[in-house]
Amino acid sequence: MSDAIFIVPSDNKPGRDNVTTTGSLRAEDKTDVTGELETASDPHLYVPDRPPLPIVTSRQLEYPSEHLPSKQAWLDTMATLEDEKLGIVDLHPKIFGTYPRIDILHNNVDWQRKYRFIDYSFARSRAEMPGGGKSPTHRKRLVELGRVVSGHLYIIKVEKHLTKRVHGLCCALSAKYAQNKLIIVDSLEIPKADHQFLEDLIDVRFWGFSTLFVDDSDIMPRNFSLAVNQIPHFNAMPVYGLNVYSMLKHETLVLTLAAVEKIESKLLQILYSAQKEDVKFEYNE
Amino acid sequence: MAQAGKFADKALQLLRTYPRVALNNLKDMPGAYKKNFNKRRNAGKGKTHGRGHKGMGQRMTLPPLGYEGGQIPFHIRIPCEPYYKDHEFKRQYPPFSLLQVQRLIDMGLVDLNEPIDLLTFCNTAHYDCSIEDNHYGVNLTEEGADTFQAQINIEVQHASEEVIAAVERNGGVITTRYYDPECVKAMSNVLKFLKTSTPIPKCKLPPQDAFEYYSNAKNRGYLADPEEIVQARIELAQKYGYELPEISDKSQKELLLRRKDPRQIFYGLEPGWVISLKDQCVLKPLAEEHQKYYAS
Repeated sequence: MSDAIFIVPSDNKPGRDNVTTTGSLRAEDKTDVTGELETASDPHLYVPDRPPLPIVTSRQLEYPSEHLPSKQAWLDTMATLEDEKLGIVDLHPKIFGTYPRIDILHNNVDWQRKYRFIDYSFARSRAEMPGGGKSPTHRKRLVELGRVVSGHLYIIKVEKHLTKRVHGLCCALSAKYAQNKLIIVDSLEIPKADHQFLEDLIDVRFWGFSTLFVDDSDIMPRNFSLAVNQIPHFNAMPVYGLNVYSMLKHETLVLTLAAVEKIESKLLQILYSAQKEDVKFEYNE
Repeated sequence: MAQAGKFADKALQLLRTYPRVALNNLKDMPGAYKKNFNKRRNAGKGKTHGRGHKGMGQRMTLPPLGYEGGQIPFHIRIPCEPYYKDHEFKRQYPPFSLLQVQRLIDMGLVDLNEPIDLLTFCNTAHYDCSIEDNHYGVNLTEEGADTFQAQINIEVQHASEEVIAAVERNGGVITTRYYDPECVKAMSNVLKFLKTSTPIPKCKLPPQDAFEYYSNAKNRGYLADPEEIVQARIELAQKYGYELPEISDKSQKELLLRRKDPRQIFYGLEPGWVISLKDQCVLKPLAEEHQKYYAS
């Protein structure tokens, strides 16, 4: 990683929080770095202050199923380096326990990849230009047998199929949950704006090489934003940006409890509504 | 769509031992895409590949399916047999069973304190009615008649004798009622209709071939004589062997006696009124000419 520069809001002076604006934070000498950065003894730091564990033992589900037991997951915290379980939360079985259809995941990833090839550029043809009209007759044969006349033109069909998209999200979440790659945390608050702390945390907990953090809104905690900004393979995303491609691309998916609430309520609303057939949209190029 | 259960759990359990589901190990179902192959060269067998020698068969230039030779054209040679003549003009009544009605009630999608009509069915989104397909309303069918238990004031477009008996056995009231396509359109998607800010249409009377059905007391037609309907209710009860329950509750009695005017399509709203969703108000026609037109 090159020398990175933090993007700090104008009202916050760079020196106030001991956040260095220049210079490599990945210095070999770790003691030097910690000397510059905030330490846990600072009074204005986030200090976990909470009742005895476990704090959470269950979660109220919308549309509870009579026949399907709810899935359960640990509620972790990022306030400490070592893993600490705050409790256990219930997850809806129709979202976190659906049949993992690999073909549906493939369909969704394929759909997302196709968006790269859409070309919205437009040029008027001779017929659409002002002045003269369209040529009255074709001067040439339209199709010459045995070879492609216009090689550069091809059509991409991109369907916006709501059912498949919802199914894809459920499958991806279920696969992540089944493979123990889904982590639920109370919030993304970390004690210091240090990328090294975040890397250590992920190393200690075996979260893998790449991690996707999802929060319910796009304004994330300051310390976390500054730390995650430094590492290209750890990414943060709001709930409205959650997609199948990113979930499968990253090794571990870390959801906040607020994000879980939002994802579940949105997906269940679609799953349980008596809506009519999907409307298909097509983008042709 | 999304399936969860013991088979899903088994699959997910299996997934725990597999490599991580990632972008590199996704694939479609086998057979999702049809593979084209060259029928002349690759179809197996040697020499001619089963296509024989010479001619249209070998060169794949056989006439298209349905091609007929001969001198006299098809439409002259074969006499006309118009089995389905005018099928596109026939009125369609998409069926909806008593079992489905009971299900809607049990799920809480239908309010029993209000009369049930075509609008109620369409608002639940469990029933689809479109004038593009010549739909004229609900045909209430007998399925679930034995288990039907609700006491309702229901208005449908077509009902058999058994259905009428099933509803009246529970102390309910059933009416068959005609709506013209314009009214069906307004009722099938009421929000869309209200957004157009057009006057509520005045319902037309049934066409000639449907008039007899809707003026017959046996069908509980809305144009039938009310006294005849009372008589027909008693006759039907004797035929099917049940007693018409007496209703003592005053509010329930009021509910069961609620009927629409033959020209009216929404309860509480009269034809000719314009409902403005933006201003949250009802505009009523004042001109004498309009009032005369919309009067029943």
